[in-house]
Amino acid sequence: MTDGTELYRKLRFLVIDDQPAARQSLRICAQAMGAFSVEFSSGYQDAITRIRRNPPDVILCDYMLGDDRSGQQLLEELRRHELLNDEAVFMMVTAEQSYEQVVAAVELVPDDYIIKPFSPERLKFRLDRALQRKNFFRPFYVAKREANFDKADAFIETNRDSEAGQPYRFELLRQNAELKLARGDASAAEAAYEEILELHPFPWARAGKAKSLMRQNRHNEARKIVDSVIESSPQYFDAFDLKTQICIDMGDYEEAQQTVEAVSQRTRRNYVRKRLLADAALLNGDATTACSAMEDVLQNDVVIGGFSVSDRLMLVRSLIEAGDALSAEQTIRKITAVSLETATLNEKTSYQALLVMLAPDEARARFNTLAQSCSEIGLDITTQVDVIRAALALNDMELAKCVTAALFASDEIRRVFKQVHLLYETRGAEQEFRTLQREAALLKIGRKAAG
Amino acid sequence: MHQILDIISSGIHDAKNQLFLAESLITQAEAEHGLKLDEARFAIEHAAARLSRLLTAYKLHREVGQLSIDMVSVGDLIEEAVMINAPHCRHLGLDLSSQNLEHKAWPLDRELTLDILSNAIQNASRHARSRIKISTTTGDSGLTLRIEDDGPGYPSTDVELMASKGVGLYVANEIARQHHRGERHGSLVLSNGGALGGAVFELLLP
Repeated sequence: MTDGTELYRKLRFLVIDDQPAARQSLRICAQAMGAFSVEFSSGYQDAITRIRRNPPDVILCDYMLGDDRSGQQLLEELRRHELLNDEAVFMMVTAEQSYEQVVAAVELVPDDYIIKPFSPERLKFRLDRALQRKNFFRPFYVAKREANFDKADAFIETNRDSEAGQPYRFELLRQNAELKLARGDASAAEAAYEEILELHPFPWARAGKAKSLMRQNRHNEARKIVDSVIESSPQYFDAFDLKTQICIDMGDYEEAQQTVEAVSQRTRRNYVRKRLLADAALLNGDATTACSAMEDVLQNDVVIGGFSVSDRLMLVRSLIEAGDALSAEQTIRKITAVSLETATLNEKTSYQALLVMLAPDEARARFNTLAQSCSEIGLDITTQVDVIRAALALNDMELAKCVTAALFASDEIRRVFKQVHLLYETRGAEQEFRTLQREAALLKIGRKAAG
Repeated sequence: MHQILDIISSGIHDAKNQLFLAESLITQAEAEHGLKLDEARFAIEHAAARLSRLLTAYKLHREVGQLSIDMVSVGDLIEEAVMINAPHCRHLGLDLSSQNLEHKAWPLDRELTLDILSNAIQNASRHARSRIKISTTTGDSGLTLRIEDDGPGYPSTDVELMASKGVGLYVANEIARQHHRGERHGSLVLSNGGALGGAVFELLLP
């Protein structure tokens, strides 16, 4: 192995493995390829700290990291939180042949993987290929990072049929589909995934198509596809998350909760998924499950940036629905004035809406001020429901109806219909809810007739 | 049943981790003492491949497990198969060459296909007089991965018969069949003659 050692000498390696002997082996391998700078990490949390402090060029990561963590989970966390640039190579190392099945199914894949035992020569062969590919895609990664979608698109269009792009044709198709989804062009994304599916029915591409359909409000078609993906690839956990989202969109909360609950039990330390479980459970009227999921997040998600104001508000919301006002108030008091200063408008409004339910005398004035403008600013759906909940609790029927009417006017009501209905019902205002529903329907019919 | 499979899988997993430690110690010894221990390395990788192959055969027999299909560069695949086996062939005084290293990508299970190719090269190396040749062709019927030698040829070219005699050909035959595109399935073809006059092993993937 004489060629390329120059290049490897300049690259910074990070070896992640919980077994000291295995770390040594990988270091020996890296050094045999010419690597000079090789840092070690003993596991998940430590790896994240090191990567944040000093991002490596090449990561060699064992699949099994101990403590209920996997290299795949680490990879997903790194890419989702953008702790690792696309230019860095993430190579999964494993003795487990079945890891191949994970890679073949999922959407977030390492740059390559290699099965133990292997020679340094073979590792270098695979790393060479990955580095060449990274080099080719460099302008694309930069454009994507800068959210310059037109430039990223142009890169793909130029290279699709070019000579230089030929070895990367498939990767170009894949990047194209992801790009179309990222820039919000769901029908172009659907077409891009179709193009991939002509080659082979890859589970991740079927899921990608389902996601594109969901974004086009074609929920029934999306659900059918995602059901078949889950059946054929039960180890593809993201597909369960996607199904949960589709079910929530369709108002089928029970199925949503069941789906995410089942997969969450198999991935106990995935806190993104725990948050999704809390959302689904709360919509499904299971505030107890929502509470325990959020308590778990607040206690244990300390790896990446930790929890946010939103997470605390979600716990407060769940506790209120579970009827535990005391704990809800204790939790909301933990939100500091400093963290509220940097909170989003949605978070601030939700905070006031939840606080007014727990301490009406103290918070009523501020809530009323905020609420006056709340129909004009585009609040997100969770916050709108918070305002409705608070307004009903304060007997401010005018405000409740105003926000609910706005929800009905948009298609968003589908997501929270049952929840809002229940809020009105428990306040003995079923009649008002039905009237709002009828008026919205009449309005729609009128609009259709006119247009 | 799945419990037994889990126990076997985890045992094999541990064994391969141990073999990797052994191989890295060899790498270290090579670097420190300027040695070349290709045959020791080959023995380790050969043993690990055998363990994996037995597990694959067991899974096929029990009809569990599925292929992991990715778009794989055919050229890279062949290059890697040669890389794994070239030192051992050299040691035996055999010339291992490859042709047609195009970058065309094909939907296939990379690790299983690599093992099938490696096993076929090793079979050939036991019978070849002086040469083994790997080549690929693509056509309407799919991708053909071909390994030829200048030995005496197969005692029988009946695939089913030959696959019943050894785990390597059994796995090759079953895995070929599991590769499919719509209704078209892959296959294993054995013949004698070819460009070098000996055994011809052909893996056809749709």
